[in-house]
Amino acid sequence: MAMNLCVTCKGKGLCGREHCPILERFEVVETIAPADSLFGASPPSVFVGRKGYPDIFAGPLVPPNVGGSEARHYDDPKELLGRDIGEIIGLRSQLVRSYTRMNVKDAASATKAKNARGVGDAGGEGMSDNPALLTSQELAMAELPVDTEVWFTRPLNATVAFDGMLMPMGPAGEIKKITLTENPKVPRKVDYLVSDTDSLAADAIRELYRHDVSQHHITRIFSIGLLGAERKLVPTRWSITAIDDMIGKMLLDNVRDYPEVCDITLFTAEKFGNHFEILLIPRCFSFELVEIWLPDSVWSDKLWIGSDREEYSGKKGYSSLAGGYYAARTSVAEYLHAIRRQATVAIVREILPDYWAPLGVWVIREAVRDALRSGGVTFGSVDSALREISSRIRTPYSKWNGEIQLLDKCRYQRTIGEFM
Amino acid sequence: MFKAIINAGTLHDAIKAMSAVVDEARFEIASEGFSARAVDPANAAMVSLDISKDAFVLFEGTDGEIGVDLGRFTEIIGMADKNDEIELALDPDTHKLDISMGGFSYTLSLLDPSTLRNAPMVPALDLPAGITVSGSVFKRMIKAAEMVSDHTSFGVHDGVFFMEATGDSDQVRLDLTSSDLIAITPADVRSLYSLDYLGDISKGVGGAGEIDIHLGRDLPVVIQFELSNGDCKVKYVLAPRIESD
Repeated sequence: MAMNLCVTCKGKGLCGREHCPILERFEVVETIAPADSLFGASPPSVFVGRKGYPDIFAGPLVPPNVGGSEARHYDDPKELLGRDIGEIIGLRSQLVRSYTRMNVKDAASATKAKNARGVGDAGGEGMSDNPALLTSQELAMAELPVDTEVWFTRPLNATVAFDGMLMPMGPAGEIKKITLTENPKVPRKVDYLVSDTDSLAADAIRELYRHDVSQHHITRIFSIGLLGAERKLVPTRWSITAIDDMIGKMLLDNVRDYPEVCDITLFTAEKFGNHFEILLIPRCFSFELVEIWLPDSVWSDKLWIGSDREEYSGKKGYSSLAGGYYAARTSVAEYLHAIRRQATVAIVREILPDYWAPLGVWVIREAVRDALRSGGVTFGSVDSALREISSRIRTPYSKWNGEIQLLDKCRYQRTIGEFM
Repeated sequence: MFKAIINAGTLHDAIKAMSAVVDEARFEIASEGFSARAVDPANAAMVSLDISKDAFVLFEGTDGEIGVDLGRFTEIIGMADKNDEIELALDPDTHKLDISMGGFSYTLSLLDPSTLRNAPMVPALDLPAGITVSGSVFKRMIKAAEMVSDHTSFGVHDGVFFMEATGDSDQVRLDLTSSDLIAITPADVRSLYSLDYLGDISKGVGGAGEIDIHLGRDLPVVIQFELSNGDCKVKYVLAPRIESD
């Protein structure tokens, strides 16, 4: 198998195999006793699969016998960032993925059914629409964990599912019946926009983000088909990047009008074997991500280096670095918007063998966010900042200097202002 | 107040020349004509456009300014035939631009000029060397350089103009003596420029017949040309690159 295909694919199935051999080598860390029903608080979390699209599997994730306040730790990226990889996999493997088969367009009929009936009594029995979908939607709207009881058609098997873009998940079981045993607490803005079937999904997403609904929560309700005029279920993997892209673009529209940052500033962070060097340069907005996968990191047995970038005018087409590109850009856009400045931003991400199991693109989003929050060091020139970066990146500079193309513009292109 | 009628080809070429550097621009309207100056987001390239009122079939304007999305504007005026006349009128109530040509009446929403970047002054440069070259030679020269590299040198040495581009593996050089050029003011100079910008400028040059290029030693290049018998002037200023190690 061409290993560099694995780096770009990250378990999507580009090699044509039914199951990804890299993902399959991760074994169950903690097992769940076989059972045909369970009771626990969903963090809240739902999963929408992509296999078989548009006929897909979807449903809530529920950790058995875990109560409300504790359940939150299973799915909150900020909370997970403080743990180590083993702990995260331990927690996530306890999340039972309950599912039923549905068509992505069922989201539209579910909305109609709910509107006809009034919100609040979804999930009961004897409904014409998929009751598990209505229950999943009701659960996804909640801000805090919701006590949930699930009965399965067959006892659960102990497995853990990994994916390059998603958080790991525990065993899966097909839903026979699912009920929420408490009323979910739904933020007013979420309730309002879910009921609004006229506004476009993109507008609803912007509105939610402006009202401080977390990106994680927006992604959840978008994925389960609760936003927009023409509602569809969106596989979790796709919805993560769709929301990253939309939020990033929305913030960058503003960022392009801000003055430039004052100093060349370097931020550094390392999380779960992902080393980040983030360089901000006083120039118009542009963004570049260089990824260096060291030999024996998750997706590659030999060194792999890739890069992608966008100029001031923005990105056309899908990034060759997939979801990670958009996740990193979202955090950068958030930071620049918060400080009301624009900059040329170059990120070098080196992935070490310590990143032994893929945890999902949230790692990139949160690590970059964390690095920018923790403050940086200023430099007098791009060259001196580059020397500092290359002293911390394990891979020799000569192997990746060709990839940082935007920096060349900052180093070599002079400006009109210098000749005034 | 602004009302004008102009040949579609002239307006199209003028707007295309602006689009080589920016997506949006602020146009100044005065009794003498219509002008704009803009700089790209990275402050490396600048364009200025002056359309004298003589270039118009009819021109009535009092001092004012409008912000225009050049992409939208180009699309709309692209609907006209080259020899059509285009009528432009600023609606003072809605602050939109009414564009009429070939039976179509468009209404173009304008941008708030205050949201557009302020264009800096054109730098006063002492550029000792200059050449005048045909538009087609200029475009071929840029195309040849783009094939081998992302930057190129322009210079004059011993009364000969040269273009030299060196890439990772290939290189190209073009020498033009005074007999190949329309005019030359010799002085020994050489500067390096990014082909990202020169490529865009080469597109902006369109069908211009003669191009004036002014050069210095490690200084910005000034590239200028005229449309509509000299009633429409376009001028680019591009900052140089530093020679990389």
